[in-house]
Amino acid sequence: MKNKLTIKAFEIVGSKFCVSSEDGNRLYQQIADALRQKKRVDVSFLNVESLTSAFLNVAIGQLYGNFSEQDIRGGLTVSDMQDDDMALLKRVVDTAKEYFKDPEWIKAVRKEVLGDADAK
Amino acid sequence: MKIKLGLPDGIGSGIEGFQKLINFAENAKQHQFASLEIDLSGVRWLDANMCSPLGAILYKISRKPNAVSLAGLSQKLEKILSKNGFLAAYGREKIPDTYGTTIEYKRFEPADERYFASYVETHLKGKGIPPMSAALRKKFRESIFEIFSNAVIHSQTKFGIFSCGQFFPVKNRLDFSLTDLGVGIRENLKQMAGLDLPAAEAIQWAMEGKNTTKKGAIPGGLGLKVLREFITMNKGRMQIVSDGGYWELNAGAVNTQSFSVPFPGTTVNIEINTADAASYCLASELSPADIF
Repeated sequence: MKNKLTIKAFEIVGSKFCVSSEDGNRLYQQIADALRQKKRVDVSFLNVESLTSAFLNVAIGQLYGNFSEQDIRGGLTVSDMQDDDMALLKRVVDTAKEYFKDPEWIKAVRKEVLGDADAK
Repeated sequence: MKIKLGLPDGIGSGIEGFQKLINFAENAKQHQFASLEIDLSGVRWLDANMCSPLGAILYKISRKPNAVSLAGLSQKLEKILSKNGFLAAYGREKIPDTYGTTIEYKRFEPADERYFASYVETHLKGKGIPPMSAALRKKFRESIFEIFSNAVIHSQTKFGIFSCGQFFPVKNRLDFSLTDLGVGIRENLKQMAGLDLPAAEAIQWAMEGKNTTKKGAIPGGLGLKVLREFITMNKGRMQIVSDGGYWELNAGAVNTQSFSVPFPGTTVNIEINTADAASYCLASELSPADIF
């Protein structure tokens, strides 16, 4: 893992409120691009006053569907977060890990679209 | 010729208030291409935040289409509903909210998340909106955002999202309501998860554990649970009315009931105790290194 990149949530979103899914997706794209390039990324939440699970699900939870837990743990850090925001992020991450561990919806789609007999 | 429809008295934030609104909506839905005069002469009390579900119902009626007008308001009611901007949609001027106790009545499109954020900030800043602790103000603001996001993600509304709030200084209570005219929680659960539950049970399902109807690349299922935890800690009150279901959280206890006729969408009402001085910091031992 090479150069560490700092991404400022405030700058990406352009507001102290990180609440919309669309803004979350903008942040997700930045983080995902960096992780694909094997860069280490720090997401700074400096000056962010409000965060929602809806935003964090898109910005960070979504990563667990596209990257391994190991890659995320090794490549991503967060900083300048308020304690309660950090607690919310932890819950979002735990929920995402579980969601992608046993994705019933993936099995259902495989079964329906591909006629996959192994899909239970 | 104008058709007169009476709005009943006592539209409060509770099951009786919603039942009255449902009856009104049911009575009005038969009309199309009509001039409807909503008679409020019998209304002595209407919780200002309930302008959210009322406005949603009137909007749906007007989109059939019908020409909707309001008449018979008492001076007191006219003043309250002019202050919060509700009557602006019905030809009255908005009057200044001198004490800043209202969160203005507004209709949003699902794509308006950023606009909604600035609306919330504007109405929680200064004025008479209560001197809450910084932590409580933050949690309240985030709760409102979570409710809005929930409506955007799940409701499939084609008619928008309606919000309104009111601060009651003497009671140290701040009430906020958000209504969408979407498919409702029961139908969403049926479509997305294949679960066909009675409406009140569908709401209960959505409020528990890690339940979510989300599918695809983005996980979910936290927003309503976070909201429920906050309201419980704050010793506030919360109601969700969706389709034929009523779900209420009061003093930590849940009560569910059913309506025989469905509400045409979903309303989430929250009432917070503004005198609450809790810190809401639950993660003192958590470090950034423990998150991923």
